[in-house]
Amino acid sequence: MSMLAQRHRFTLDEWHQMIDAGLLRDQHVELLDGEIYEMTPIGPPHQSVVDRLTHLLVTTFGDRAIVRVQGPVPARPRSEPQPDIALLRRQADFYRKAHPEAPNVFLVVEVAETSLAYDHAKLRIYATGGIQEVWIVDLRGDRIEVYRDLRGESYGDVRISERGESLACLAFPEVLLAVDAVLG
Amino acid sequence: MSMPAPRYRFTLDEWHRLANTDVFRKDRRLELLDGEIYDMAPIGSSHHGAVNFLTRFWSTQLGTRAIVSVQGPVIAPPRSEPQPDVALLRDRPDFYRQAHSQPEDVLLIIEVADSSLDYDHAKLRFYARAGMVEVWIVDVLDERVEVYRAPRGDRYDYVRAARRGESLACLAFPDVSLAVDDILG
Repeated sequence: MSMLAQRHRFTLDEWHQMIDAGLLRDQHVELLDGEIYEMTPIGPPHQSVVDRLTHLLVTTFGDRAIVRVQGPVPARPRSEPQPDIALLRRQADFYRKAHPEAPNVFLVVEVAETSLAYDHAKLRIYATGGIQEVWIVDLRGDRIEVYRDLRGESYGDVRISERGESLACLAFPEVLLAVDAVLG
Repeated sequence: MSMPAPRYRFTLDEWHRLANTDVFRKDRRLELLDGEIYDMAPIGSSHHGAVNFLTRFWSTQLGTRAIVSVQGPVIAPPRSEPQPDVALLRDRPDFYRQAHSQPEDVLLIIEVADSSLDYDHAKLRFYARAGMVEVWIVDVLDERVEVYRAPRGDRYDYVRAARRGESLACLAFPDVSLAVDDILG
């Protein structure tokens, strides 16, 4: 539609104020590049992997990191996605005053069941926002895509981890996680 | 840039609630179209002059026969609330203080387009869907007034362009004629 250019792009401030005002409270939405998107409803296969990953990361990292599940992660300048999992630098107040900024986000994990195209499109948002590492758990492909090496709007290092292999994130290179443990 | 997912659409209720907050800076001109928020184009002087003329013209010619609303919100269900440059509304003792107008109260919508012609053309579908009986688009650059009547679905069945040297009247007030030359200046 020729109106595209004039569609209002929300700033992060406007977004936070809208949420504070109680709007969108019951909606499953996220802010991407200044626009509000409906997140696809999550079916059991997707949710089970999120829960499995949560358990794995919490038990593996303990006090060394905070595991945020389907919570907001600001990706400046004007996005606030809600990735399935975000591994955050530990902070005593658990980010009570404000959501974590990119330097405090070790890793984002998106689980893709029907949403692979959407999760791929979100990579640009994460890269622009300065998120250093993203994993996409591709349920249909039965594998994990690993994105590192931030270069502006994209990641320069993309690799695939398959069943039988292990992987670690940049922030904790010594902590190996089995792909089988993630995929279940 | 667009993502492969549906964008969220606000309801009219949510839009009204938003208007009561401080979320948007007060100097922002925004309107709701099909549940999405649009930045309205800044108003250039030829645009402003045309609006000023139309405001005086309709107010003096119609007196109490209608209310002349200038850049006010006009509810266009199901989920639009545009702010046309000029709207002629059915006369009401409270001047729409208690509640916004509904489509059946709207006798004429006038949009003045200098840089925003594409945008104003795109808005027509929301006016048509809401059943607004008549819309004029004053195309300042091409020096003509487009007249749209008989809304049906997303479109208007009757479309006519009036040029300099010609006159026109609206359906609601066929006795009140204005010259295109006067509108364009």
